[in-house]
Amino acid sequence: MTALLILFFTALVAMFTGLTKHRSLLQPITLIGSVLALGSVMVVLPTGWNDLYPTMFVFDRFALAFSGVAILSTALIIALSGWGFRKLDETLGDHYGLILFSVCGALCMFSFTNMVMLFLGIEILSIPLYVLAGSQRDDLSSNEAALKYFLMGSFATGILLFGITLVYGSTASFDLATIGRAIEAGTTSPGMLHVGILLIIFGLSFKVSAAPFHFWAPDVYTGSPNLVTAFMATVVKTAGFAAFYRLFTMAFAPAIATWSLPISIIAALTMVLANTTALFQTNFKRMMAYSSISHAGYLLLAILAIGTVGADRALMFYLLTYAVATIGAFGAFFVVAEQKGDESFAAFNGLGKQSPFLAAVLSIFMLSLAGIPPLAGFFGKYFLFTAAFEKYPWLVVLAVINSAISIYYYFKIIVAAYFTKETPGSTSNNSIVLPASIRWTLVICLILIVLMTIVPGNIYAII
Amino acid sequence: MSLLFILIPFLVSAFLLFTRSTASRQIALAASLANLIATLYCLTCDYSQGMNCTFDVPWIASAGIHFSLGMDGITLLMLLLTNLLAPIILLSSWGRTFEHESRYYGLVLLMLGALNGVFLAQDGLLFYIFYELALIPIYFICAIWGGQDRIRVTLKFFVYTFAGSLFMLLSLLYVYLQTPGTHSFAWADLVQAPLSPGASNWVMLGFFLAFAVKMPIFPFHTWQPDTYVTAPTGGTMLLSGIMLKMGTYGVIRWMMPLAPESAHTLVPTFMVLAVIGIVYASLIAVKQSDLKRLVAYSSIAHVGLIAAGIFAWNKAGLQGSLLQMLNHGINVVGLFFVVDLIERRLGTRSLAEMGGIAKSAPKFATLFMIIMLGAVAVPLTNGFPGEFLLLNGVWNYNFWMGAVAGLTIIFGAVYMMRAYGLVVFGEANSETEKFADVDGREFLVLGVIAALVLVLGFFPGLILNLTDISVNRILGAVQL
Repeated sequence: MTALLILFFTALVAMFTGLTKHRSLLQPITLIGSVLALGSVMVVLPTGWNDLYPTMFVFDRFALAFSGVAILSTALIIALSGWGFRKLDETLGDHYGLILFSVCGALCMFSFTNMVMLFLGIEILSIPLYVLAGSQRDDLSSNEAALKYFLMGSFATGILLFGITLVYGSTASFDLATIGRAIEAGTTSPGMLHVGILLIIFGLSFKVSAAPFHFWAPDVYTGSPNLVTAFMATVVKTAGFAAFYRLFTMAFAPAIATWSLPISIIAALTMVLANTTALFQTNFKRMMAYSSISHAGYLLLAILAIGTVGADRALMFYLLTYAVATIGAFGAFFVVAEQKGDESFAAFNGLGKQSPFLAAVLSIFMLSLAGIPPLAGFFGKYFLFTAAFEKYPWLVVLAVINSAISIYYYFKIIVAAYFTKETPGSTSNNSIVLPASIRWTLVICLILIVLMTIVPGNIYAII
Repeated sequence: MSLLFILIPFLVSAFLLFTRSTASRQIALAASLANLIATLYCLTCDYSQGMNCTFDVPWIASAGIHFSLGMDGITLLMLLLTNLLAPIILLSSWGRTFEHESRYYGLVLLMLGALNGVFLAQDGLLFYIFYELALIPIYFICAIWGGQDRIRVTLKFFVYTFAGSLFMLLSLLYVYLQTPGTHSFAWADLVQAPLSPGASNWVMLGFFLAFAVKMPIFPFHTWQPDTYVTAPTGGTMLLSGIMLKMGTYGVIRWMMPLAPESAHTLVPTFMVLAVIGIVYASLIAVKQSDLKRLVAYSSIAHVGLIAAGIFAWNKAGLQGSLLQMLNHGINVVGLFFVVDLIERRLGTRSLAEMGGIAKSAPKFATLFMIIMLGAVAVPLTNGFPGEFLLLNGVWNYNFWMGAVAGLTIIFGAVYMMRAYGLVVFGEANSETEKFADVDGREFLVLGVIAALVLVLGFFPGLILNLTDISVNRILGAVQL
């Protein structure tokens, strides 16, 4: 709750500072704000927060742990933004404000105890993002991304809302605990409830970009500005999955027979489609879009594993490893891409010579995303697969096969960086300038990955 | 104590990777010698009570995962193999200067640490992690310093082996979930876990996929010849000398003990595959004209026999396979060194362009002959007692299998003698007339290998005594 307030006021301050001449203060202010918010989350994490509005939201350990993941990701993205937003002028304050407002929405999605709050959270998260996706006004693909994201997002929200209405009609409540009790007692009209749950699954699948509702993701990821894409791939994904998990444990757990089959089909489809499509990509951002879809497929295993001890921890740990590695990869990517004016894999050719540091960290992030032991990403997959293995062994086998496929496209980056000579005739000079802020952010990401590699158990156990 | 085997290489490797030291060769060699000394010290420990020199700290305590190391005679033999070959492998690329030398030696040491970890691990997940960790450095070694078409070949190798071992992860996970209470990955607990017959089949198959790709056993061997040929010599030696023994060791320590229930249903099939591999690879080796490829195929044949000995799961088979793992490591490293030496002098690996080296390089021809005889398993060389025990073990298991597997000795003699004859005897051509004899460093490497071939040929008991108690223990614990 404190974190929510801190973020909200920081966002307000950022918007007004953006109107003054002191725009250079914006990044420090927002960074301090998000670090403070992270601190306030960490302080109350062991006990949980005593709630002012328990019927609307409760910051229990689950909510606080996921808030930690989301705010940490935001802080890392803001740390990258000093260089990333350097060309922005009047709109700089709006950018920071919108990012922080969006995180406020994410926090509501971690802590809701009421369907209304879930819906509000999703909207607070999404609306700033529609604007951010289109923030490169003179870039046609950014406009396309914004429009697509907005249309698809509204469509998904509509479906979700429809589902919520049906569930309300069936159980006569928006309160998660009451819904859960009603389902358990069997006092619901089953048809309406099942259709409602199904529609909610579809709506949330849009948000977390799970197949077959993922078609917007590649275009939106590619068209949006780099940092906004990183934000979508991490914070939005975290929020979507946490909300998914929370809703289905607190309200729909008794109706598991209704939703386990559709979700397992969606999970299987997502993994297979995303991984096979990613093999054919040549644009880094597009590849990362499919990579993020494929991770959504693995993460759905955690939703399926609801009821197994450790499913929530596995979800949290996986999202943390995924977010840190993704932000790090984007950080390394946009330095290279902007200086070479190329967003395809070819931009990385010869990186091992031009900037050994960037090549090394980028390789580590890719290895972690691919889940190669002993890196953090492996433990994420390990926890997730263990949680789901007893109930869904075949789905885990499929996930394992898909992890093997994913090596192909993650390794393309490593191959380009180390084993491919730079494309002859490229106009850029041979050295890459690495701004200090980016370097330090990447070092922090690296340290986080190493920490999660060495003491995965301690981080896993914070929920 | 056992932690040293992992810590020394990892720390030195981190130093070499990050600092770009100019004395990287010397540092790497010193680290590998330190490991060798530690191994020799461990020879004096007592292994009659099971694991010794254990090291155990909880890693992910809530999930029953421990960083747990320990050694018995079998592990010690593997450590001896790794740490004895490491200095030889490092010395073999000593005279060469290549790009990013410090990185190369850093990666080699990282690999050694991971290999030691594989053999020492007493926790299922830890074993898996080291097993995969060993793959990352060798991938980079082959892809950076390899030959033609290296990127495609090494990626195939990586994906193939990684995919195989993911199935092992599934098997481990399954057995782990059958352990009582909050579950545990400790070897002793995994062995105790009760498995239903159906489940046990899947578990064994998962392990088999991982180890069969690694060894490799027919028909999972398709990555191997290309990778061996493409890799730089040091990488080939690491792959063939040490890394493939991760697979054979894994069968002994993990696959058979964890799913003994399926031994009767599945192992006969594995045995047949292993024996087919022996004959198949030998036949191809006979027809090879590329020397490096010939050695690669001979390696498949030899490892097939080692695997068959393990699958027989009797005293002679296991003792033979352990002895032969060490011997094969020594011989194959020697052979690849010879191939590299010839290739560097003549600029070719084609047998057709060689001949008459005996005249211009008598010392080389003699040492090559000793190593070649070891590979052929002539009595009084190291290959003989190993292959004899192996065939004895397979024979006890099944007469026909033993008979077919025995062909390996005949084929081995055919392709090795043919290759040796084509290289060393016959008419010299303009290139081979100028063939310089071995210099001091090369003489040292080949001399050490040849000496090992002879010593282990005369005194195989040195090794057999080392593993005897532990083999009895594991045979007693895992009765099929």
